[in-house]
Amino acid sequence: MKRSRTIAITALAASVAMLATGCATADSGGGSAGDPVTITFWGAYGNGGNSAQQDVLNDTLIPAFEAAHPDIKVTYVDVPYDDLLKKLTTSAAGDELPDLVRADLGWVPKFADLGVLVPLSQAMPDFQELADATFPGVLSTNLWKGEYYGLPLDTNTRVLITSQAALDAAGLDAPPATFDDLEKAASALNGTGISLFADGGLGAWNISPWIWSGGGAITDDEMTTATGYLDGTKSVATVQMLVDLYKTGQISNGITGNAGAISTAEGLPNNTYATIFDGPWMTGIWADQFPDFAPIYAPIPAGDGGSVSVVGGEDIVLTATSKHQEAAMEFIRYTQSDDFQLALVPTGQLTVIKALGDKQVELVPFLKVFTDQLATAKARLAIPQGSQVDTILNEELVPAFEGTVSVKDALSKAATRIDELLAEQ
Amino acid sequence: MRSHSRWGALPAAFRITLLSVGALIMIVPFLYMVSTSFKTSTYVFTNPPEFIPSPATTANYEQAFATENFGRFFLNSLIVASISTAISLLVSSMMAYAFARFTFRGKEAIFRVMLLGLMIPAIMLIIPQFILAKNLHLLDSLAGLVLFYVAGSLSLNTFLLRGFFESIPAELDQAMQVDGAGAWRRYWRLALPLAKPGLATATIFTFLACWDEFTLALTLTNSPENQTLPIAIKLFAGSGNNAVQWGLVFAASVIAVVPVIIVFLVFQRYFVQGLTSGAVKG
Amino acid sequence: MTLTTLGESLGADVAGHVSAASVPPARPRRRRSSTGGGLVPYLFLAPGATLFALTVLYPTVQAFQMSFFDWKLVASASKFIGFDNYLRALQDDHFWLALSNSGIYMVFTVVPQIVIGLAIALLLKRKSPTQPLFRVLFYLPVVTSWVVVSLLFRFLFSDAGLINFTLGDFLHLTDGSTPWLADRWTALLAICALGVWKGIGWSMMIFLAALQGVPAALLEAAAMDGANRWQRFRAVTVPAIWPALLFVTVMLVIGGFNVFVSVYLMTGGGPAGRTEVLLTYMYKQAFENLDFGYGSAIAVLLTVIVFILSVVQLRVFRDRNGEGAL
Repeated sequence: MKRSRTIAITALAASVAMLATGCATADSGGGSAGDPVTITFWGAYGNGGNSAQQDVLNDTLIPAFEAAHPDIKVTYVDVPYDDLLKKLTTSAAGDELPDLVRADLGWVPKFADLGVLVPLSQAMPDFQELADATFPGVLSTNLWKGEYYGLPLDTNTRVLITSQAALDAAGLDAPPATFDDLEKAASALNGTGISLFADGGLGAWNISPWIWSGGGAITDDEMTTATGYLDGTKSVATVQMLVDLYKTGQISNGITGNAGAISTAEGLPNNTYATIFDGPWMTGIWADQFPDFAPIYAPIPAGDGGSVSVVGGEDIVLTATSKHQEAAMEFIRYTQSDDFQLALVPTGQLTVIKALGDKQVELVPFLKVFTDQLATAKARLAIPQGSQVDTILNEELVPAFEGTVSVKDALSKAATRIDELLAEQ
Repeated sequence: MRSHSRWGALPAAFRITLLSVGALIMIVPFLYMVSTSFKTSTYVFTNPPEFIPSPATTANYEQAFATENFGRFFLNSLIVASISTAISLLVSSMMAYAFARFTFRGKEAIFRVMLLGLMIPAIMLIIPQFILAKNLHLLDSLAGLVLFYVAGSLSLNTFLLRGFFESIPAELDQAMQVDGAGAWRRYWRLALPLAKPGLATATIFTFLACWDEFTLALTLTNSPENQTLPIAIKLFAGSGNNAVQWGLVFAASVIAVVPVIIVFLVFQRYFVQGLTSGAVKG
Repeated sequence: MTLTTLGESLGADVAGHVSAASVPPARPRRRRSSTGGGLVPYLFLAPGATLFALTVLYPTVQAFQMSFFDWKLVASASKFIGFDNYLRALQDDHFWLALSNSGIYMVFTVVPQIVIGLAIALLLKRKSPTQPLFRVLFYLPVVTSWVVVSLLFRFLFSDAGLINFTLGDFLHLTDGSTPWLADRWTALLAICALGVWKGIGWSMMIFLAALQGVPAALLEAAAMDGANRWQRFRAVTVPAIWPALLFVTVMLVIGGFNVFVSVYLMTGGGPAGRTEVLLTYMYKQAFENLDFGYGSAIAVLLTVIVFILSVVQLRVFRDRNGEGAL
């Protein structure tokens, strides 16, 4: 039938047209010298519809930068957080990385090891000055084989969060400040139907605050061995305490990986859990969903090691294939400025600059607990196989919580496996 | 022609009940999704589950539509899915016809290789395909997506359509051959019209696959001018675990489902027009 | 043979498409026309085959190559290590666990989808005003994205979710507090439930299309011969929809082994890797540990398994079909 043939031809023509357009668009982007240089910046500021951060970036920060640097244009591309790593990986393999990336802390060693990042400690003459202004815990996540491959961009940490209702049920006047307080609270909560604590897993992000606060460590300072540290007496004692609480039902089974357990974000406001560890982003979420809920923020309970939490956040990195490294470094400097850092604080991004701590609290008072916690917070293992460490911890510790393996054996096994990873450095 | 009698006495009421229970199980989760899309910023589900949102709001839909570039994503998905489907049907029906109607050297071998395409986990090909797209200058373009989508659907459609072509009796072909019709005419005038149910099925499946495809779209495109709807939905979902604006995600998902349902409704008519229409004409 | 009658009656039905004078007299029929058309079939194959070779086969070969290397993103740093990745997989407990989970998922989703899908198609076959509505309703899950339904089902099966609510408070069958996703077997059940729920509409559609081709005349003849519903089904319907059955089975087996998004989003392979399937394991190796060589090796092993299964199915189906050919 003539009609079907016409359709087929149209389809063919359309596709040829698309091909042509495709080629045309792909070619644009190179300019001659003298034109403003365009640098691309990938990140996950979009945060799934909570676009507050992205709006600040696109409406305020980038225009301010471009006004101060008329020869540089910045294009920000938002990528869903869960997929950013994958996209970076593919693009690295295909040599199509952007100039700048807002990289999760754990990714920096990975990509540094692959040689796709520029060592800023070598490339930027003012690097030391910029680095000294930042929190050591966050800065250390950029270190790889003696060089720094990025600068801290934003940070966060976990603190203890509880509610008045929970404190009342546990018979406490104030949030539990020590491990002993926790155990007292646990016995008081027996029979009330409220669990003392809940968390989402047993990876480094979850278990490190406990181990460090208990006086233990994951590895030695030079990151050469975990045996003797991860399964050292203090570490074992701390994890044993958690296992005992788990056995009496005082810690929810979300910690051993039950994906169906009530989430910490829900369980605290609706009084299923008495305490959780979480970050500053929760406040906006709770304000939306549980407007009557007033979270109480407190430092991580202290054990023999004091109150030590784990550092999270993002670094900004420059890719080795960038054709506009000088311009990109200008933008990096801009991200370390007071304007940039403080503009994002109200949207839930803690500053990485030590000196801005007080200003930060002025802007958003409830951040005081987080700022204080950051002073002593430590980073997770900054090795390329950071994600494998989480897998190892989960796999070895879950049986310990279930009671099929002793805590010491579980930690020793985990330490041995981590040793293998460390040996690869 | 009375066709009810061959089913014996399967009471209509029993049939309808069974179907209704089944349909209910199918759509209850979906209903829940739709109802959540009309709820105010929930990121967590209430228990006991509420099916009627109160208060109901269209804020999520408004936010979805108001999101920068949402309309562009929608349009891109529409263009890419439609063109990919059209081209894929043409190319794969040609291949299916060759497999169904001819014998030639290497026929089954080539067919098995095509089948291989179905078994390879697409996710493993991402890096080589990215590099290929880059070398062909098809990165960040709708044309690149069309190319890979068509290629990805060939195995399935060829396999499906071969079965349909094969169930067309051979003597109809032979009749046309005797008449002097060449292969192309037989394909175009005889096989395609008679395989309408198969073509309609393939259309629906291919359109759906292209419409929902996420991984390649994310990998190959960077700028909003070229991105597709699933990326928008994933952007709404943020980082899967915390702080997901479910109402928004579901609103976007409901919007995304509408075109596929339309395609489905339009093309499913062709199932009925299959061989039975021949009986009426005769 | 009754199927010859099929050919005759159909030939008559569609006679409107061809000139009456050229309808050939009855003679022994073969199912496939044996027109060896010289160059013609290759011309028909050309566009598709070229496209396929370029954008699917070639990348596959490259991915296959990757499996023999300790592959680093920067290709020049990759080291050739021969079959080491494969040996590592065969000695890897996680690999075998993932393989068994994929297999279990495959079996417990393929069979229900075929049986229930066919049953629904049979129920829906008759033209009635409600037919279009039911078709849409059954097809809706197919049409919704995997990401969305996986997260939805994760909620449904959560400790405080709809399933526990229905079983406990509503139907009083259990105590309503089963931690579905905390245990390997109950979690696999939930994941399989999702797979079946999502796929039934798909197989139903194919069977519906195929059932259109079941010759009504034949069914009537069989009924008049005294065959009951089951016998008519076995003798007439099943052979007529044989290609569709083959197609659906092969596709579902492949899809079953390739399950990814639902597991990834419902349990993340947990708890402690107990619900890991081959593709989630491969994904973690490739994209989290950046060990593409190993990931590719796993993918190749998966492809080989699926390929062998498909070839076996094709062989078995074709042989049985040969008996009943026209």
